[in-house]
Amino acid sequence: MNPIITAFSKGIEKSGIKPSKVSVPSDIPFGSEVVNHLGVDFFHTIRGRAIPFGTGLKLGNPALKVVPFVGDLMTLGGNHFVHAGRRNMELLVICVNNFVYRKIGGQPTPSTPVTFSPYSTFEEPFNIPHLGNSCGAVYTARWTALHTDELANSIAEALNKQGLSVIEVISPGPNYYTKIEDIESNLINFYYENSVIKNGEDPKNARITPEEKIVVGKFTDKERPTFIDSYNAQLSKVLGDKFTPYGGKNG
Amino acid sequence: MKANPKDVNTGVYYIDGDVSSGYGALAAGCKFVGGYPITPSTEAFEAVCRRGPLVGAMFIQMEDELGSIASVVGASWAGVKSMTITSGPGFSLMMETIGFGAMLETPFVLLNIQRGGPSTGVPTKTGQADMMQSRWGSHGDYELIAISPDSPQEMFDYTIKAFNLAERYRCPVMIMSDECVGHMTEKVVIPLADEIEVEPRRFYDGPINEYLPFKPDEDLVPPMVKAGDGYKLYITGLIHDERGYSIKNEEYKSIYTKRLVDKIRLNKDKIIELKEEETDDAEVVIVSYGISSRVAVRGIEKAREKGIKVGSLRLVTVWPFPDEKIAELAKTIKAFVVPEINYGQIAFEVERCSHGEANVILVPHGGAGVHNPDDICDAIEYAAKEKKRIEGVIEYKTKLEKLVFEEGYKLHE
Repeated sequence: MNPIITAFSKGIEKSGIKPSKVSVPSDIPFGSEVVNHLGVDFFHTIRGRAIPFGTGLKLGNPALKVVPFVGDLMTLGGNHFVHAGRRNMELLVICVNNFVYRKIGGQPTPSTPVTFSPYSTFEEPFNIPHLGNSCGAVYTARWTALHTDELANSIAEALNKQGLSVIEVISPGPNYYTKIEDIESNLINFYYENSVIKNGEDPKNARITPEEKIVVGKFTDKERPTFIDSYNAQLSKVLGDKFTPYGGKNG
Repeated sequence: MKANPKDVNTGVYYIDGDVSSGYGALAAGCKFVGGYPITPSTEAFEAVCRRGPLVGAMFIQMEDELGSIASVVGASWAGVKSMTITSGPGFSLMMETIGFGAMLETPFVLLNIQRGGPSTGVPTKTGQADMMQSRWGSHGDYELIAISPDSPQEMFDYTIKAFNLAERYRCPVMIMSDECVGHMTEKVVIPLADEIEVEPRRFYDGPINEYLPFKPDEDLVPPMVKAGDGYKLYITGLIHDERGYSIKNEEYKSIYTKRLVDKIRLNKDKIIELKEEETDDAEVVIVSYGISSRVAVRGIEKAREKGIKVGSLRLVTVWPFPDEKIAELAKTIKAFVVPEINYGQIAFEVERCSHGEANVILVPHGGAGVHNPDDICDAIEYAAKEKKRIEGVIEYKTKLEKLVFEEGYKLHE
């Protein structure tokens, strides 16, 4: 099974959260066997809308742990990501960054480092943990797909954080259908070997470039009132007893 | 099932259509509203934001309409009745997700307070030009339900009906209102909760391991479950089988799409609501919806004063379209007159269904205002006099239109 899914599975187990309470909106389809194996609810939404769909799931039932697994995060979903950070929406966004639109034919993305495409890209890419951190996420981390244990630990930690968590996973492909043998094992090792762990690093220094080692680690771990906390606090202040706080302590 | 008394603000009010629709949504048991403010629908969103927290309904002002409608589909899968509210440009942004909602057979309500278009158009004034967009706006084949209220009281009543239909048929339901009805202030009577019928969600109650999210009951509607209950849901916007797993087979694609469409088409008789008046011995029948049906009342009165036998068929439900009713009337009358605030949308549907048996006269209006009842009366008179059977839709030249043509499309003060 794909190492990211393995880490996700381990992360859920370590977090102590029941898999049935985990909902995964995504803009890329998981294999159905993955969902059966994990025991989560899975929603293959439309391009870029995993975060607002997940926002609806979370607000519809605050007892859910909602984990948007996203690909088109920085393009179609860019505005949603920025606002999820601003309002500290209780979501764990796992962004699998493979630097290309792989299934569509390998076009560059807003997270493709300069020089990656046939004529070389010339646009500055987003540094995802830095953007998440700047927008207000309470937890940011980056790992490569082969940092399975570190990634699982991050997922477990982030699942128990209150607010928006962002984990970027550097991976050669979004291919959840194939076995690990079929993924370009050279590339997955290349990313792993060319990374350096710097926990606590300011994510603005973790820009990915072809020349430097990929900085991985846990970058942000802070506390901020979540959307639901702020909603409840403000409405309780204004409405007093007429308002019943929404969702209870856990949500 | 009766409405929850906590959700209903029983009383007599003097409010506008927007606010009335917001109160209707909460009375129907709506517990999640995701929206983005846009004229002329903001009063409806404000009404639910103000009253919602008092009855345990969550609201969120999203970053855009792409987000607001996606959040509504998500909330519906979390198990709560959900709604979004928008107009013109916001409605256009929502299109992709409306198709997604239809594909996932997600119940939710979309309130569209139509304004003048295209593009930014005339944000503060009325229009009825989104009717075909509500029917065909998203790509692919699907059917959904659209209702068109014509007064603040109906905005309350039919918002409840919209929720009931959404839950009953597991599909998006659109309330295709307009600026005029939305901003019209009238008396609205909100009844006692036990006088309001609400449709609960049709939850599956069999063994957990046997649940198939897209296996329909006899009426072609599958029962639903919600996220977080251990069903290991696999839900995708790809064409899927009864388990929800994606499937590319040509035969299955047809079977699935056909059910999506037939779920509405074959239940048409139960869905469609029409208001019919004096059509029995009519020579001309006015077919109208929304604000145009309010304006047509005066036009009909005037025509009757002149001794013309005019009936009225009001489309409370616009989609699905009452094909059979129109065909049946076409056999007994001379002509249909269709006043609408656009250059021909529903008029062409009426023409399609009349099978060449009656003339169809469109009384158009460019928007930012409503018809002059005199124009409707004149069109009725013309319809009653015309002896020839004329092919296609006849575009009646209103006083405003005549002015436009005399001036050769020139715009000046």
